[in-house]
Amino acid sequence: MRNYCFLIAFLLFAGDLAAHPMPGSVVKLSVLNREIRGVAFMPKIELENAIGRPVGNLNTPFFTRYFTSHIRAISGGKPWKTTIDKILVATTQDSTVGSYDEVEVHFLMMPPDSDNLRNFTFDYDVIIHQVVTHSAIVFVEQDWKNGVRDDLTTRPLGVIKLDVPTGKIFPLEVRLGEGSSWKGFMSMVSLGMEHIREGTDHLLFLLTLLLPATLLVKRKRWAGFWGVSHSLRHIVKIVTAFTIGHSITLIIGSTGIVHFPVKPIEILIAVSILVSAAHAFRPLFPGKELFIAAGFGLIHGMAFAESLVSLDLDAGSLALSILGFNLGIELMQLLIIVITIPWLIILSRNRTYKEVRVGGAIFAGIAAVAWIIERVSGSPNSISSALQAISGSAYGLLFFLAILALLSYFKKNSPEAD
Amino acid sequence: MKYSGLFYLGIILPLSVAGIRELTADKLAHDPLPRFSSGHPAASNISSIVKLADAFKATLSDDQRALLQLEYSKSNAVRWSNFPQMAARPNRVGLTLGSLNTVQMTAFKALMAEAMDAQTVNEGLSELEGVRVADDTIARHTGQSRSFGSGIYFIAFLGTPSTSGLWELQYGGHHFAFADTYNNGELVGATPSFRGVEPIVPMTANGKVYQPMKQEQDAFIAVLNSLSEGQKTAAKLSGTFNDILLGPGADGRFPNTPQGLKISELNAGQQQLILKAIETYVGDLDKDTKAAYMNRYKTDLPGTYLAFSGSGSMEQISDYIRLDGPRLWLEYNTQVSRDFRGATHPHSVWRDKKTDYGGN
Repeated sequence: MRNYCFLIAFLLFAGDLAAHPMPGSVVKLSVLNREIRGVAFMPKIELENAIGRPVGNLNTPFFTRYFTSHIRAISGGKPWKTTIDKILVATTQDSTVGSYDEVEVHFLMMPPDSDNLRNFTFDYDVIIHQVVTHSAIVFVEQDWKNGVRDDLTTRPLGVIKLDVPTGKIFPLEVRLGEGSSWKGFMSMVSLGMEHIREGTDHLLFLLTLLLPATLLVKRKRWAGFWGVSHSLRHIVKIVTAFTIGHSITLIIGSTGIVHFPVKPIEILIAVSILVSAAHAFRPLFPGKELFIAAGFGLIHGMAFAESLVSLDLDAGSLALSILGFNLGIELMQLLIIVITIPWLIILSRNRTYKEVRVGGAIFAGIAAVAWIIERVSGSPNSISSALQAISGSAYGLLFFLAILALLSYFKKNSPEAD
Repeated sequence: MKYSGLFYLGIILPLSVAGIRELTADKLAHDPLPRFSSGHPAASNISSIVKLADAFKATLSDDQRALLQLEYSKSNAVRWSNFPQMAARPNRVGLTLGSLNTVQMTAFKALMAEAMDAQTVNEGLSELEGVRVADDTIARHTGQSRSFGSGIYFIAFLGTPSTSGLWELQYGGHHFAFADTYNNGELVGATPSFRGVEPIVPMTANGKVYQPMKQEQDAFIAVLNSLSEGQKTAAKLSGTFNDILLGPGADGRFPNTPQGLKISELNAGQQQLILKAIETYVGDLDKDTKAAYMNRYKTDLPGTYLAFSGSGSMEQISDYIRLDGPRLWLEYNTQVSRDFRGATHPHSVWRDKKTDYGGN
């Protein structure tokens, strides 16, 4: 509930709910393979009003019974089986109420036959059965076959509250639509593309790695232009090695066989940028770029896997997701290479490329150090915040590169000598 | 023509049935805009109100006038709220009192004094002032002067004030909403009307002590205290109320079936107490309007239902009382105070099932 966008969505769609003294409940549903997983968020004080006493310890048979009897699904006249996974309490923020204690109920609802998973009556009346001024807004957080990956991209299914004229609490009729594997697959392709487009660190790593890719090494220094066909072949090899690397760990990680710890991976990614930056400055591992790219690919893949693991998919959808997600990553990488490399090739034919290369290496180096500090300390610093702020203007940078390349093209060609 | 007789019969018969039904039906129940002309020249002060409205308008700059004077539309009429003014909501219309200079403020008060009871302490105009004083108290207490304060109250004319056309005098802000709708020279609605206050304790401003919801609270306590145990059981609702049901946006959502205890079951003394409670809302208006509404609700009283929930003290969290009649809807709830730890504060709304927004 810390998500600001979500809060805005809530305010927009909740309408008159906002006039209530405490925020209403929020229920998020995820459509899995054979069951619906859900999380219900509710103010603790409203739960206490409903049961007429302080809640105390929530992990008791009383609360398991209470929630299973007030969170129900029915389809074809048959009740589903509700199980309570866990109940937590956390302090949360609301723009009008300020800070308050919130109870989180994690539950699973399993239909008698999984054919009816997408059409059911959601008979939810936690708190509302007693506190008639309370309400619950219901979202779909994840529905793979309809391309729904989070609650920011969906409208709420509806609001459950007392209907004053009839005095009844009507359950919510859920009709999710059949969806398709194609929709799910395409949604994963776009998730992969988003991941690279918005993942400033992945993007910077790739660009830094490519910065000296068009150059020859002479006496342990970057020398002149390598020639177009040689450069292109080299770039394709580097990118392929990176792709193989991250595909391996993405597959391993997203199947859930191995769980990679998030924090060390994030730090290692920042380190990989620092190493590439150093390499762009002086050739550290000339001729061994492929191994470095593949090795760091393994690390980046672990981070990619993190965004698939949380989706909790069945084997078939997971296979399609890995494929789609990876394809999205490749497409975006390819796009970036296609719009960047021509300028790099043009620039690297010229003496002035040294400034571009060194400037780029220093920029990437500073960014990498800032990210390492941020990820180790767990709090942003002024440089990492600035990077966050300018990450949206990557296109401006590309435009600048293009202008530079065109200028250098019309100047007398003289190879870089160091 | 052989069938012409049958044809005319076909027209005349339904028409006469409709005519008889029209004559025998409860006129009020079918009239979308009930008038108060039945012996009560309600809003006989309409010409004074229009004059004072025009006088207020004349004191304003063009920009201020543009904010004040709007088209009459239901979508503007429903944009009242009990919520404090935040960045994006509630989306009130009109001119803020904070933008008025002394001359303009005097003209505003003269207008409201004509439309409201301007004599009784903590009712009418004094209640309006008291709620503003309370909001200043919240602003000082929380430091949030953008959301709270006596200046963040809005006045709007929906439709041009006149003794002939349709228009609404709309006023409101945090914990206050006032909606006088006029049509053809008569007041055709004085609701929805929201009253609340925070804090509920007495507050002093400009040498006067304000406690704007005191009479309301006391009147409801008196009603509940007068009930026998049996009557209490009959009037008690099982649900818990942490707010009123029919606040802003919940227009026309009255229960199909009233709940609680029918007031015809109560004795004359108890009925007087109920009328007194109603009067703490209706009595905020000028005396003619008050008399017209009180007559209606008095006539309706035997068929009105009393219901309550909570402790009955009307000062604890989730205390709730409701009067649900053929026309009257009045509910009052005590809820937790967010800005004053440990305290409670009331929300209440007076609605009229037939004349909310003048029946529009």
